[in-house]
Amino acid sequence: MENSTKSIGKGIDRIDGILKITGKATYATDYPAKNMAYAVLFKSTIAAGQITKIDSTEAEKYPGVIKVITHENAPRLNTKGGLRGGALLQGPEIIFHGQHIGIVVAETFEQATAAAHLIKVEYNQKAEKTNFEKLAETPTMPKGKELADQVRGAGKSAMKTAEVTVEELYETPIEHHHPMEPHATMAMWEGDKLTLYNGSQIINGAQTAAAATLNMKPEQVRIISPFIGGGFGSKGGQWANLVLTAVAAKMVNRPVKLALTRQQMFNSVGLRQRNMQKLSIGATKEGKLVALAHEIISHTAINDEYIEPCGDCTKIMYDVPNSLITYRVVPMNIILPTYTRGPGKSTGSFALESAMDELAYKLKMDPIELRIKNEPPKDPSNGKPWSSRTTVKCLQEGAKAFGWDKRKAEPGTNKIGDDLIGYGVACGTYPARQRDSSAIIKLTLKNKVVHAKVEIAASDLGTGTNTILAQTAADGLGLPVNQITVKLGDSDLPPAAGSVGSVGASSFANAVNDACIKITDELLAKSGKQFFVRPTAAQLMISESFTDFQTRSDSKAPAEAEKYSAHSFNANFAEVRVNSITGMVKVTRFLAVTGAGKILNPKTARSQIIGGNVWGIGMALTEESVIDPRYGNFATRSFADYHVPTNLDIGNLDAMFINEEDLIPNKMGVKGIGEVGIVGVAAAVANAVFNATGKRVRSLPITPDKLL
Amino acid sequence: MKPFQFISATNPGDAVARLTKNPEAAFLGGGTNLLDLMKEHVSLPNEIIDIGNLSLKEIKATATGFHLGALAKNTETANHPLIRKHLPLLSKAILAGASAQIRNMATNGGNLLQRTRCSYFYDISMPCNKRVPGSGCAALEGFNRMHAIFGWSEQCVAVYPSDMAIALSALNATVKVKTSVAERLIPFKDFHLLPGNHPEKDNSLAHGELITGIEIPNNSLAAHSAYVKVRDRNSYAFALVSVAAGLSLNGNLIQSAHLAMGGVAHKPWRALQAEDFLKGKPATIANFTKAAELEMASAKALPNNRFKIEMGRKTLINALQLAFKG
Amino acid sequence: MKQNKTQLTPEEHRLFGDLMPEELEEVIQSGFNRRHFVKLMGLASAGLLASYALGAEQLFARAVETDEIPDLIPNAIENGVNVTFKVNSSSKSILIDSRMTLLDTLRERIGLTGSKKGCDHGQCGACTVIVDGHRVLSCLTLAATCQGKSVITIEGLAKENELNPMQAAFLKHDGFQCGFCTPGQICSAVALMKEAKEGQASFATTHISADAKPILLSDEEIAERMSGNICRCGAYPNIVAAIKEAQTGKNVPQNWLFTD
Ligand SMILES: Cc1cc2nc3c(=O)[nH]c(=O)nc-3n(C[C@H](O)[C@H](O)[C@H](O)COP(=O)(O)OP(=O)(O)OC[C@H]3O[C@@H](n4cnc5c(N)ncnc54)[C@H](O)[C@@H]3O)c2cc1C
Ligand code: SF4
Ligand code: FES
Ligand code: FES
Repeated sequence: MENSTKSIGKGIDRIDGILKITGKATYATDYPAKNMAYAVLFKSTIAAGQITKIDSTEAEKYPGVIKVITHENAPRLNTKGGLRGGALLQGPEIIFHGQHIGIVVAETFEQATAAAHLIKVEYNQKAEKTNFEKLAETPTMPKGKELADQVRGAGKSAMKTAEVTVEELYETPIEHHHPMEPHATMAMWEGDKLTLYNGSQIINGAQTAAAATLNMKPEQVRIISPFIGGGFGSKGGQWANLVLTAVAAKMVNRPVKLALTRQQMFNSVGLRQRNMQKLSIGATKEGKLVALAHEIISHTAINDEYIEPCGDCTKIMYDVPNSLITYRVVPMNIILPTYTRGPGKSTGSFALESAMDELAYKLKMDPIELRIKNEPPKDPSNGKPWSSRTTVKCLQEGAKAFGWDKRKAEPGTNKIGDDLIGYGVACGTYPARQRDSSAIIKLTLKNKVVHAKVEIAASDLGTGTNTILAQTAADGLGLPVNQITVKLGDSDLPPAAGSVGSVGASSFANAVNDACIKITDELLAKSGKQFFVRPTAAQLMISESFTDFQTRSDSKAPAEAEKYSAHSFNANFAEVRVNSITGMVKVTRFLAVTGAGKILNPKTARSQIIGGNVWGIGMALTEESVIDPRYGNFATRSFADYHVPTNLDIGNLDAMFINEEDLIPNKMGVKGIGEVGIVGVAAAVANAVFNATGKRVRSLPITPDKLL
Repeated sequence: MKPFQFISATNPGDAVARLTKNPEAAFLGGGTNLLDLMKEHVSLPNEIIDIGNLSLKEIKATATGFHLGALAKNTETANHPLIRKHLPLLSKAILAGASAQIRNMATNGGNLLQRTRCSYFYDISMPCNKRVPGSGCAALEGFNRMHAIFGWSEQCVAVYPSDMAIALSALNATVKVKTSVAERLIPFKDFHLLPGNHPEKDNSLAHGELITGIEIPNNSLAAHSAYVKVRDRNSYAFALVSVAAGLSLNGNLIQSAHLAMGGVAHKPWRALQAEDFLKGKPATIANFTKAAELEMASAKALPNNRFKIEMGRKTLINALQLAFKG
Repeated sequence: MKQNKTQLTPEEHRLFGDLMPEELEEVIQSGFNRRHFVKLMGLASAGLLASYALGAEQLFARAVETDEIPDLIPNAIENGVNVTFKVNSSSKSILIDSRMTLLDTLRERIGLTGSKKGCDHGQCGACTVIVDGHRVLSCLTLAATCQGKSVITIEGLAKENELNPMQAAFLKHDGFQCGFCTPGQICSAVALMKEAKEGQASFATTHISADAKPILLSDEEIAERMSGNICRCGAYPNIVAAIKEAQTGKNVPQNWLFTD
């Protein structure tokens, strides 16, 4: 049993769990307000062109309707204020199907919804660009500098020198985040001060973007977001609905609630773009890589660029002297793509790690051995040393725990009844970073009991931030967890990074840890005493009878970190059972082995990892959004058409962590697990399906029709 | 939703009278399909007649078979001791559909009348002959992976989504209907319609008619029946293809085969050619295969659903095998 | 490789160590095992099992339920229907727009915002509540049809200071992340216990035609029966573990592994 006086590293229950299991956790639309009005968005039914007329007379006459807002009467906003995706009702232009074109505000949700159906819109339609397959024949160079061609050594031309090659096209479809809580906002004005209740992965980001868009000062806008019903990237950057709620509230002079419908989620808050990835690997007969090329075509919005970096894993995973990574892009009449769990790495690793599996099969080599053989001693993309790299350990420990030796090398040979069994492996990685964050700690002494309050504008979207910060503060101050209160999710608190890109845990925990050290130092100084053994802040409060004390610390990543390449790594092991008749696949067992530095709370960390695994399984087997290129709309338009995995799709998931201490990326040695949990998962599943059936599916998702 | 008057019917006669009076009224069973469609503005009744309190909830054995009340819930039906014992195929098909919560709400009558899940039908900004006759069929040349391979027309290629009804079709059920003047019985094969030139009509029920129950004749299939459903995820998804199979056996000899397919047509698709072929033949894989091939020979795929033909063939064979094994 | 590094806290160990292996009979009697959970909850409220330091402040921050349901202005209601029904054992009489769903009535009128709207179309299960003992979707239920019925929501599951055993099991097994699907999951799971006790069948049940009798649910049975509740955070294995523990009353181990 571990040292029981320390809280970090223990799998304690979530401190906010009690609120979630009793229905008392408050999400954006759960706050009561007097005199609330309800807003409903309505959307364009064409993908490209101009609105020539909006007739809202009938809607305005509808009982209970307070206001109809369109580009004709909406206030002028700053479209460069930092919100994503446009659609701010600033003009008649339509650039994608389902663009917001107006808002109905009414006494009730029922009335606003009914009235929205009475609006008549006329368009001047233009030819839309919505056919990805066609457009992908003539893609263009992306604008982003980081997306320029990356050539190492002789680049792709080294493929010629290889003895064994794999060159295949891998495709991943559009995916949607679909957090269980559809994006929603409640806006309340008091004079020129605005409060927005809105699920936000980046509290301060939401605040500055809302303020800038509304031409206000950040301190006039307050974001409240203690609980977020999932985000997965879609609540990182904020979208038009945030500010349109404020606009509506201003125009009707009442608090307004605006929630997107599930159907509206398809074209309101970004998506994971569709990717065509050509992956070429060349190797010697012994399995040493000589060339690696990853050529990617994706799409973006017609007027703005976001491209998920599918080549990122390829850049650093293997030791190969010659490589090429290229991005090409197709602007389309579609909502702007955005960060989606494991952006680029999850989809990119599907191509890379499938191709590695294909190579191993061609070489008649164990896929684990092939990977170990090509382990890079330092970061091949920039020559920096690894702060630590756990890929080999993940593979080896995972293989033992999973029973990899039971895998049959020849596909299609492991059959139980009608079911084919297969094993697959794939690796992944995600950068470990710390971002600027500040925290305040307030200590009070009452009846000889010290209580600490931690304040930080961090967010917890189910990631366990509340809990790990309480644990961090508990250890840093010398208190039990239940004497700590954590306050987050409010822009009035000290500014912090966001729960995005796996920077949350490291940024927040280091900020709180630094604040603990600082407050202890300050209490020591205040006591004016010398101690043989450094006392804890809690001990000082008691021994010196201080009743109140607080401090704030502003933390940054250590400068040293820049000199290293710091990443989380994983190895994923999948066992699938494929019904040989119906083609239905079930992931019966999955093991993710992760090297992510210090695990602050293994219970919540495990949940994060298996959550990422479920996402990866969804990517592999069920999730796909389909555009009808004739209209530019989504032909899969509801939660019944877009298949998120259900409970029955998921078998036994296990999470294993590498016990490692890597203090280079940050003082706490925390590397982040939210993103890496999905990376490599889809490939592991696809590789297992190949092992089970002998069918190599290179276009996700692997639905039953593809295995007939 | 469009505004509507809400009225609770007190007895079947009252319900029928009220509906007959108002061409824009609709019955509300469990509401799991109607409310969904009303929220999408696909269904626009101005009066809702709640029939949930009518006493048409009985499930019982009759002289010739079994009676299912139209307002008995799907869950109750699937779990009724009589049904589980004598019509396990029906239980299994019901349990293959939707989720526990939805089955707790869904009524037997409402289940039969659920409308297609064609996403263009649901999207009122799209052309759809079923929703707006004459507006065109967006699915015909659109995303039609989920659509029909049997019996479709240029006017509509949608499929009928119920699982329960596939079993009822195989079990030769009859739908009992109350009209304003009398009661009538509609054999299952005549209840649902192919789209032809009138895809707006899903079935042969006239406005004002109330389903009061479903009659299922006695059969000897209980020991040899199976429901196989192929779908994009393991639960809570509509069928790509499903098969209800029941075999009446004399030793190894098939006296009669009962086969119906879901997810392939605008109505439960009774696999009559396969049934005919199997009659009197020994239950062998070769015969099952032959029967399945015969049936699928008349299938006609759309651009995105060619796979359904092979899937249908395999699923037919599989269901027959499972039914045979019992 | 060490297994189950933090399987139980020392406190949990002390308190669970003496728990007798439970008889199936008891599970059948109560649907799930109360005795085990009275203990669990003792721990929770002592702050040992679940330290909810954050809780206290927020737990009472919000008046959970409006006793007096405020009337809306007259033109906010079309086709008004008067309904009287029981919510979590208190009776509510309310004039509503005929279009109002039970979900919106609970959330927007009665002030019970625990039930969540994840899709509003029956496609996710987040709005699951228990009506007259059955789990149903409140987003597809017109409130007008609830006349005389009894509705239990997530807010009504805990009694005074004692959590419902299913709630406790979800907490212990981390059966959620963001928590948005959780009220629906828990209501669903609570009703599932009754269904298992009654021996209801599911699509995963192998012998449909056998007589119904109380069932001890396998993992697969739990997963199939809970598939009407989508969890985008992917807490499924934990949800299965929680339900298993609640049903059997036996400690279901929590597995996280560390390499040496
Ligand atoms: C997300 C989701 C997934 C689903 N998945 C499946 C699935 O996999 N398989 C499957 O089979 N089903 C599935 N369903 C459909 C579900 O089974 C049906 O919605 C349900 O059976 C309809 O029954 P109801 O009583 O709720 O009907 P309602 O919605 O109440 O009624 C449907 C129609 O029937 C009419 N009506 C109802 N009762 C009568 C009567 N007695 N006489 C005359 N008219 C009547 C109504 O006016 C209405 O037009 C799913 C539904 C949802 C929402
Ligand atoms: S297939 Fe039928 S329901 Fe679908 S769009 Fe065509 S006409 Fe409408
Ligand atoms: S909100 Fe009711 S099922 Fe999704
Ligand atoms: S806990 Fe977030 S959706 Fe289930």
